[in-house]
Amino acid sequence: MALGSANLRRRIVIDQSTIASTGAIAFVNSGVSSSPAVVLRGLTKSFPKQRGWRAMFSGRAPESVRALSDVSCEVRAGEFFGLLGENGAGKTTLFKILATLVTPDSGSAIVGGHDVLKAPSRVREVLAPVIADERSLHWRLSGRENMRLFAALHGLRGAQATRRIEELLALVNLVDAADRLVSGYSSGMKQRLLVARTLLARPSVLLLDEPTRSLDPISARSFRQFLRADVALAQGCTVLLATHNAEEAFELCDRVGVLHRGRLVATGATPELAREVGEDRFAIWIRPADQSAIATLSARGVVREVKVMEDVDGWSRIECDLRGGLDGAAEAIAFLALRGVSVARCEPVKLSLADLLERVLARHANA
Amino acid sequence: MHKAWALVRSNWLAATSYKLSFMFSFGSLILSVVPIFFISGALQNTMANVIKGQGDQYFAFLVVGLIALNVVASAVNALPSGLQTATSTGTLEALLATPTSISAILAGLSGYEVLLSLLRGFVMLVAAGLFGAHVAWLQLGASIPIIALVILAHFPIAIVVAAMVIAFRTRGPLPQIVMLASTFLGGVYYPTTVIPGWVESISAFLPLTYGLKALRTVLLEGRSLVAVWREVSILLGFTIVTLAASAVAFRAALGYARRVGNLAQY
Repeated sequence: MALGSANLRRRIVIDQSTIASTGAIAFVNSGVSSSPAVVLRGLTKSFPKQRGWRAMFSGRAPESVRALSDVSCEVRAGEFFGLLGENGAGKTTLFKILATLVTPDSGSAIVGGHDVLKAPSRVREVLAPVIADERSLHWRLSGRENMRLFAALHGLRGAQATRRIEELLALVNLVDAADRLVSGYSSGMKQRLLVARTLLARPSVLLLDEPTRSLDPISARSFRQFLRADVALAQGCTVLLATHNAEEAFELCDRVGVLHRGRLVATGATPELAREVGEDRFAIWIRPADQSAIATLSARGVVREVKVMEDVDGWSRIECDLRGGLDGAAEAIAFLALRGVSVARCEPVKLSLADLLERVLARHANA
Repeated sequence: MHKAWALVRSNWLAATSYKLSFMFSFGSLILSVVPIFFISGALQNTMANVIKGQGDQYFAFLVVGLIALNVVASAVNALPSGLQTATSTGTLEALLATPTSISAILAGLSGYEVLLSLLRGFVMLVAAGLFGAHVAWLQLGASIPIIALVILAHFPIAIVVAAMVIAFRTRGPLPQIVMLASTFLGGVYYPTTVIPGWVESISAFLPLTYGLKALRTVLLEGRSLVAVWREVSILLGFTIVTLAASAVAFRAALGYARRVGNLAQY
């Protein structure tokens, strides 16, 4: 199964207190417990809207856009936490608040025990954002010089700085290219250098904002492996990953939170959340497209939310939710065979962010 | 200090990675002394009387004025332009995310340009010396605290402009006003004493007026720092008052930018 892992036996419970306080559905992973690295409580932020000339001179206060609305959650130490949401959901705003670049209107954010408003410099000592924008590197300096600059800015000096730089260049596999100008690096190399630069100060909390957006699929996959194995596990960092790629979040994260229009609408352990909202989605290739057979399956409750997607050479591709996952699939195939419908293929459908959001929002509305 | 120096060093490395451009900029600087030499030579007799007490040679008078003006230009513009570049390239966000004080970031972003203007000034002075400028070379050391004060007196203006950049993404008209006033009323091309009536009173509010008078007295007349204690005191007072005011303005701009979310936005 693509989205789940059969050996996980963790129980999902609906945390009523979280629903009451935040409106978010919480899938609590009862198998893990540790101290929180990041605690958000009722975090709210609005930005003034861009005004036209007439509005600017009208004397009226500018309208505002709500970027975050009452966001509360905890990320435990050592956890790889994904923040999923479409563009404009509030992921970057949340990260900028954590990085002390934006002040919240209300609520609090505690990082490593330090309040982002009361002790921003302490927060910057324990938290480091990986600014995924390649332009944030000094392109006319070599990789090693970029590292040297940021080592100094993090207070590392002399032999200690040199040792740490070499260690990290080796970790990100850039030793051979370290003395070349960054302008000559590929996108993948630049992303690795950005991560190495961030790890200089041994941060306990790492923020990754869409780190693979400029990478091709193969580089993105190897970069994700690097993040999981060499950054999160080897360095022992708590990682917060903002992404609008559901697959990436499911591949990397222990838990994910779903942000929608500034609201955290769901949080949960990744396999459970994936299973809860999408693991029973299947694509079935049948011929002929016997509508009455599908209607019967639907009436029996075996299939739900049926969509006929395409028709190729007489084969119809039908997407539907199958009750009971694989058992449901077996039942449906057997029934279709009895009705003389040929089944060429039956496979789980990978959840897109849009599907995930749609389902989470439907559940959120029901809750 | 260590952090600011690391930023200055990285700017130096980035600038010198364009080797040819870097060399040409110094070559053209030396060449720029040639027209100054001929024009000032032509005006020597006319200016001899009015520049009395600030060296007897108009060529040296003009060269010192232009060097100081270039240093002032970099003191006023280096920080805002460094900040704008860092914002547009995205490096500012990375800098602000490190545990580095704002003062170290500001010093680091502007330090290279200011130091480069000093180096260029020195090269220009040496070139002028080769063309026969009357410079009291032994007083070069005494001119260092004066030029440092000239820079410091203009740095608060740079901080206010940087605050504008941080909050509103524009430098506003302040740098042009300061540079225009300094160029024509600060005593760069002629002593302030020749400026007519009420306009001369404006020059009394310009730090460059005092800086240039002190520099020329030391570098061209060969007198000691004691002889210019009044000018030095005024520069010091100006620096202390304006630095405090500019720090308040910058802090306010930073708070505003964090509230509206445009601190590291381009």
